Amino acid sequence: MSYRSILGSRGRRVGEDQVLYDLRIRELASEILGRERDELLWSLFQEPLDSVDAAVYRLDVFRDLMNESIYTAVERFVEKIRLALDYLEMEKDAFEPHKLGLHLDAALTYVEALENFYNEMTSLDVRSQGLRGFMGYIGEIIRGTRFKAMKERAWEAKNARSKIRIRVRIVGDKVHVWRFDGGEDLGKIIEELFARFREGEVKKVRYIPTTSGFSHVHAAILEGAFKLFRDEYETLKRFREEFPEILDEGVVAFAREVRFYLLYLKFMRSLMKRGYAFTIPRFTLDGRIDVRGFYNILLAEKGVAIPNDISTVGSKRIFVVTGMNSGGKTTFATSFGQLAYLAKLGLPLPAERAEIPFFSTITTAYPAREDPRESLSRLEQDVVRAIDILRKADGSTLIITNELFATTTSDEGYVLSKIFLEEVSKRGSYCIFVTFIPQVASLDFVISMVAQPSREDPTKPSYRILPGPPPSEYMAVRIASKYGLSYKELKAMVK
Amino acid sequence: MIEFDLLKLEPREKIATAEDVRLDLELDKIIGVAAGDDKLIAETWLEVLLSKECPKEVTEYRQEAVRDALKNRGSVLRMYQIAREGYEKAYREVFLYRLDDPKFVVNEASSGVSILVDYLEKLLEVVSSTSFTSIAFRSLADSLISNVDKNFIDKAREINSILGFGSSVDFSVEIGVLNSLVNPVLLLPRNEGSIVSRLLFGEKKYTYRLDPRDEAGARILEDIRNWVLAGVATTVLNAFDKLLGFFRELARQLSFYVGAINLSDFLEKAGIPKTYPEINPRKLYFENLYPLSLAISSGRKPVPNSLDLDVDGSFAVIITGVNKGGKTTFIKSVGQALLLARAGLFVPAERFVIPSTGAVLTHFLREEERTFSYGKFEEEVNRFRTLVEAIRRGDYVLMDESFVSTNHVEASVVAENVASALLDSGVNVIYVTFLQDFLYRFIPKYSGKAVLLVPERLSDGTRTYKLVKGAIQPGYALEVWRKIAGENVKVEVA
Repeated sequence: MSYRSILGSRGRRVGEDQVLYDLRIRELASEILGRERDELLWSLFQEPLDSVDAAVYRLDVFRDLMNESIYTAVERFVEKIRLALDYLEMEKDAFEPHKLGLHLDAALTYVEALENFYNEMTSLDVRSQGLRGFMGYIGEIIRGTRFKAMKERAWEAKNARSKIRIRVRIVGDKVHVWRFDGGEDLGKIIEELFARFREGEVKKVRYIPTTSGFSHVHAAILEGAFKLFRDEYETLKRFREEFPEILDEGVVAFAREVRFYLLYLKFMRSLMKRGYAFTIPRFTLDGRIDVRGFYNILLAEKGVAIPNDISTVGSKRIFVVTGMNSGGKTTFATSFGQLAYLAKLGLPLPAERAEIPFFSTITTAYPAREDPRESLSRLEQDVVRAIDILRKADGSTLIITNELFATTTSDEGYVLSKIFLEEVSKRGSYCIFVTFIPQVASLDFVISMVAQPSREDPTKPSYRILPGPPPSEYMAVRIASKYGLSYKELKAMVK
Repeated sequence: MIEFDLLKLEPREKIATAEDVRLDLELDKIIGVAAGDDKLIAETWLEVLLSKECPKEVTEYRQEAVRDALKNRGSVLRMYQIAREGYEKAYREVFLYRLDDPKFVVNEASSGVSILVDYLEKLLEVVSSTSFTSIAFRSLADSLISNVDKNFIDKAREINSILGFGSSVDFSVEIGVLNSLVNPVLLLPRNEGSIVSRLLFGEKKYTYRLDPRDEAGARILEDIRNWVLAGVATTVLNAFDKLLGFFRELARQLSFYVGAINLSDFLEKAGIPKTYPEINPRKLYFENLYPLSLAISSGRKPVPNSLDLDVDGSFAVIITGVNKGGKTTFIKSVGQALLLARAGLFVPAERFVIPSTGAVLTHFLREEERTFSYGKFEEEVNRFRTLVEAIRRGDYVLMDESFVSTNHVEASVVAENVASALLDSGVNVIYVTFLQDFLYRFIPKYSGKAVLLVPERLSDGTRTYKLVKGAIQPGYALEVWRKIAGENVKVEVA
């Protein structure tokens, strides 16, 4: 039996860097991966999957791992395997007496990891194809004769080692070693002597090692010990000679790959602790979208994300978002884009509940960064981008746009928007269209969403985006009238 | 275990408004006399005087110890001196600024132990040659004598010599995970090559010698030595800390009694009497009580006051009358005496009887509160609220012109509510006030529990600075009105 990757099939590298930039996917990945250095994990975040099956394979593994006991078992297993690998790495440069110990403990750690993990997992309700496959794989290893022999010999060696106890004397530049033959514990004598005084605040003297415990001097002491404990030494040496190879390749690969899940789950938990939800998405086939309480992960990290809903039965697929300035429109669009992207990685989503289509591609058109070398104006760039999008878009494309066609009059902007959206609509693509041109929201084939002001103070945003017609009154006018600058009042004041 | 407790101050908690009481009752003046330049005495006195809990048994326990200390003043002063010197010498000469260097800690702490053992020997001498009579001092002496003997002192000195600088280390060690050396146990050095061990183990030995050029090896050897000493370093350090703590605690507790000796000397020199208070739940009685802080700041023997009041659960002493009549001096002197009394000290009076050893809380007028403002009134009320938060039956609340930051009509209502509530719930009230509405309603209502005091004026108008029992005079204001307005204006009396 050979090892089958716990990641299932791999996705394809995103073609357009601009999408990763606009949806802030790299920032997202670095929040999730933190200081992780494994390149594999970073690249996985840039490889959306091609098929629903591939996503479901991963989501099933997540569903298992969201069970606390399964998560803990896997996490512990991975830690142990990494530890064993570390020992073997250290062994390469160690002194001979240390090599014996590092090799033995790598084996002991590995044996224990495999057995514990297998026993634990068999007692748990593991359902995913991915994890069940891996359990079958290690079950076979454990039952093998080589594994059994290795385990037995390793324990023999360990028992031999624990019999060694020596008396050491350091005097000047000399170290003497004897077999231990009894002696009085000086610390205990002092403790007893001063027990008659009342205990005060207990301080602890810390010993901070300035050299490693694997130096040539330590090796020399060990060598002395081995000379005085000849049989025990032979047992240790024999183990290393008999079992030069310890870890199975497939196990090592699993320990590396499964961290894709563990790191994401760890991240999820940190947000869930702050009251934010995660859900395993269901993929719809009829164009339906129904996402409840989705929020921006990057804002949730700071504890300030406001959840929103978005839904359609599938006949209308274009959402036009308007409303007050700084009211959370862009965040709403970006968050939905991120959500759709994470779904394509086969990850649980930052929402209370999520039913979405499996988008074939996600594409974006955000305001271009000013580039003095570009010969095109921003409006021209917008149009180029829009047309490029339309060229590739189909019935399962998600398009996120932010203030497209903003650098012209609003009449012209409206016309361009209308043309663009009609084309989008014809292709059956999905689109979140953020704009400050309210007429766009009145198009009959779109769903209008509006950023709402706060109830307590209508001059401040609530960051809630709700379906409905765009507001009839502008915030700036309202603020002015609060200071008596409405038409009527101003007129009444001027006599 | 060496056990002693000359103060019985647990739990060491101060009353909530300790800072107010300290300022309002001018405690720094009294503590200044008890402590002189000695900061430790000042600290201890402040803590004892302002401590929250002070049950009757504790008061009596300390009172007995104060009498004992005054009788054996020579020994008490000598013990205090030894305790402080030992503590200060060890503190000065032992450098324990870093706890991450076991070798260094072992060396410093063990030399500290040997310093303190010398002082322990001196202390033992004084204690064994004094015959204390109070429970407090008697049990200190007994505990010391039974726990510290010649054997202990010899052993402690020996340990210092074993751990001295530059000696060899013997330890046992095992081989653990990764073949690292584990569980080092520092051993009492063995007489090498003893016949017995040679016979038993054949003296099989392995020796490793560092190459003279191996500098890294020398550093590693030092590191191993440090590693082995880490465990015992904590032990020796804690032994030293325990000893040091013993001296510090002893000095702290003795400092209270040294302060008492100093205050007693002051009163004697000033010709002011001193008496040990009595506790009688049915009595508030004092005979020639001297205002202590005034005696200290003026350097003269001030005018004393006397009072005799039967107490039925609680009492109220309301003081009113002309300015500069000695009202504030009076309330302060009572507050100070109450604090000294409950602390177990003597008070400056011929006789002093109080109904309880409750806490003393003060609410004195702040000068900035003399103007009317609801903001200030709110602050004042808030301050009062903090003060009464932890109040208990038998406590004493001393108020000097409380609630004057609003007009007297509303202030009187507040004052009446507050004073009645305290009194009815068993809290004692001493209140200096000019609030007329309050006086006219409160005094008749509590005729059995409250007494009104006013500055004494002799028939020729001379002030004596003594307070005497007074009475409210209903209709007095109308009287005055009539007098001045004469018959020209009729006044209808309802």
